[in-house]
Amino acid sequence: MKRIFLLLLALMVFPALIFAGGKQEVAKEEGPKEVKIVIRAKGNPTEHWKVDAFDEAVKLLNEELQAEGDNRTVVIEKIFDDASWADVVRSFAMSADAGEAPDIILGGHEHIAVYSTAGYIIPLADSVSEIKKMYPEFDDVIDNLWASCMLHGKVWGVPQDIEARPLYYSIPKLKALGWSNAKIKALPERIKKGEFTLDDMIATAKEAVAKGVVEPGHGYWHRPKRGPDFYQYYFSYGGYFYDPDENKLVIVEDALEKWYAFQRKIVDEGITPENFIGTDWRIWHDTVSHGKALFWNGGSWQWGEWAGIYLKDQGGQEYLFENVGYALQPSGVRGKSGGTLSHPTVYMVTTEKASGRKGRDLAVRLLAKVTTKELNTKHAVESTHIGILKSQANYPPYNKDRFLSDVIYMLDYNYFLPNHVMFSTWEDAVWEGMQAAEIGQRSPQDSTAATIKLLQAELGDALIVK
Amino acid sequence: MTEKTTGGGGKYDWFWFLLPALILVVIFFFLPIIITFFISGTNMSTATGFQNWKWIGLKNYQRISSHPETLEHLWLTVKYVAFTLVFFNLGMSLVIALLTTHISRGVGFLFRAVWLLPRITPVVVYVMMWRFIAADAPYGILNQIIIKPLGLKTANWLPMAPFLFIVLVNGFIGASFGMILFSSAIESIPKDLMMASLVDGSSYLQRIRYLIIPHLRWPLLFVTTFQTLSLMTSFEQILVLTDGAYNTEVWALWAYHKALSTYSGNLQWGFGTALAAILVTIGIVMAVIYMRYFKFEELVQEPKIETQ
Repeated sequence: MKRIFLLLLALMVFPALIFAGGKQEVAKEEGPKEVKIVIRAKGNPTEHWKVDAFDEAVKLLNEELQAEGDNRTVVIEKIFDDASWADVVRSFAMSADAGEAPDIILGGHEHIAVYSTAGYIIPLADSVSEIKKMYPEFDDVIDNLWASCMLHGKVWGVPQDIEARPLYYSIPKLKALGWSNAKIKALPERIKKGEFTLDDMIATAKEAVAKGVVEPGHGYWHRPKRGPDFYQYYFSYGGYFYDPDENKLVIVEDALEKWYAFQRKIVDEGITPENFIGTDWRIWHDTVSHGKALFWNGGSWQWGEWAGIYLKDQGGQEYLFENVGYALQPSGVRGKSGGTLSHPTVYMVTTEKASGRKGRDLAVRLLAKVTTKELNTKHAVESTHIGILKSQANYPPYNKDRFLSDVIYMLDYNYFLPNHVMFSTWEDAVWEGMQAAEIGQRSPQDSTAATIKLLQAELGDALIVK
Repeated sequence: MTEKTTGGGGKYDWFWFLLPALILVVIFFFLPIIITFFISGTNMSTATGFQNWKWIGLKNYQRISSHPETLEHLWLTVKYVAFTLVFFNLGMSLVIALLTTHISRGVGFLFRAVWLLPRITPVVVYVMMWRFIAADAPYGILNQIIIKPLGLKTANWLPMAPFLFIVLVNGFIGASFGMILFSSAIESIPKDLMMASLVDGSSYLQRIRYLIIPHLRWPLLFVTTFQTLSLMTSFEQILVLTDGAYNTEVWALWAYHKALSTYSGNLQWGFGTALAAILVTIGIVMAVIYMRYFKFEELVQEPKIETQ
């Protein structure tokens, strides 16, 4: 069967070759000393250090190689754009299959599952302790971040950045509601301890709408479009994604229903607008950054966007510190500490077959050179991402950034998406159910039942329903 | 090849005439269809790559038949195709064609040119315009210009009437196709016939009913066939407008999402192509039915209208 398929594929490719008309590249005779490493990353313009940091890193590496008497010199090629993750995955898979993939690919940590199963990337080490011993730079990575790079007991990636998804709140609006400065200041701590829950948040927002402190529907704004941020509510009610022992995805029915009920309740209580999902990002940023909502959920990286784009004329970060507070995502259960979902992006090294080039050792070594407090801080500060290295906490260019220093504690309360091949199917199903519940198309109970039915149909044995 | 016909060409000349088109049809139509059906019998995905997939027979089709959302997507697709086709690709385009051929030629031409704008505007720009028309207050054009001045309750209109929007967005593009065909067909009806009907005392409406429409039979059938098949597989406007949210995931978009665009991770090429293969099958069946039912072979016979 495979032969037939390959034959068909060859027939498809044949005309392409004809039309290509000799454009085929002749394999370059690269000098024995020059090793080319191609790096591909995606991000918004403030995240350009994801690739630009390699300019400095390659210099350091080449200096080291020279000092060691190694006759190889590394040259790099950088590819950076702002494509969607789906586009990145698709184009990477195609290029890897054609043996033309970049040597280093930046992805969400959950891409490890798919890429490693397909044989596109190499394991970097057999355990966390092993990778920490490989290069001192890797030993500096915050320990719990390695968990996001693991699959089947091996390490497949090197963390590049990480973020938190705080609950933001408008300080002037809370004051208008009668909150004292001390009470406002204590809010993050109360959320951390589980004293201020999602129910309290709803009640406060409802009061703000009732008293006219905010416009109706402006008590609480979640992210306007699809994204993993919503799973935080599922988590808040005791849900989780994955059973590592069984290597299966998990859906916790009770947590799912409570999450969906939360999404509907915020609309029913009048603190989130009807039909809010799908609101344009620009409208969302404009509203929350100017403090027109009382509470909202966002990402730590958005702080930089608000300061640099939406509040440029009002004083940027200074305005934000005066008017906006941030805390962990409140728990749905009283007494249980708040949390945040982190989604580390990680550098992965492709196989020789996928990239069509040798020199994997140098690619890994180059990653070590880019995993330094000097280079990572440039990215962290410019794009307001949290640092990934222990040494950054005491590194002045990093810790003089008030926001980044303030939110770094959130990493102690974070959790990650699972590295499971079928996770995107899980995501598709729960997102669909959540939308149906929030816009009132189905009741939270019905939506939960429909989602579980859909998950079972799509995932079969790969799912555990709790 | 040696045997000559009276025409002076070889016996197989037809073959050489057809060959260029045949190559294109085989490469760009038949092979993709065969490959689509083939991949639909595998578990191919990003995780298996193009190397490690397995042959799983009809499992993808079994999965579709037992999938809780299959009927939902199918019914939505039928509704979407029917409404867009009837009200816009046929209805609206016929109305525009009739109106613009009953006014002065210059104005009619200008009006038709305006209707081409949605078609020539890049999809993303065009759909963004719709998004801003529908956006929630205080931003949406609809809210600012109509709803607020009237003192009505503002809303985010896209989720309020998602089906209406996907039909409108596609319909406004689709209408221009029929409009061009219909108006050129109306223009080609002999002027003496048109004049004679009025001289004989028929009203404009009667002339449309008893003279123009019968003359438009062929373009009407062609537009119906072509646009049914094209709407069935179209999804790009919906992708940009809602990305399938609020129950707007038509079958083609479902296939696209499964095979080519998941939020993070595994693209299920096998399952996605099985969905696409079903669409291809329905398309082929529909095409055959249309061709039989509408007697398409008569289209290629002598013209029904004598040219002057």
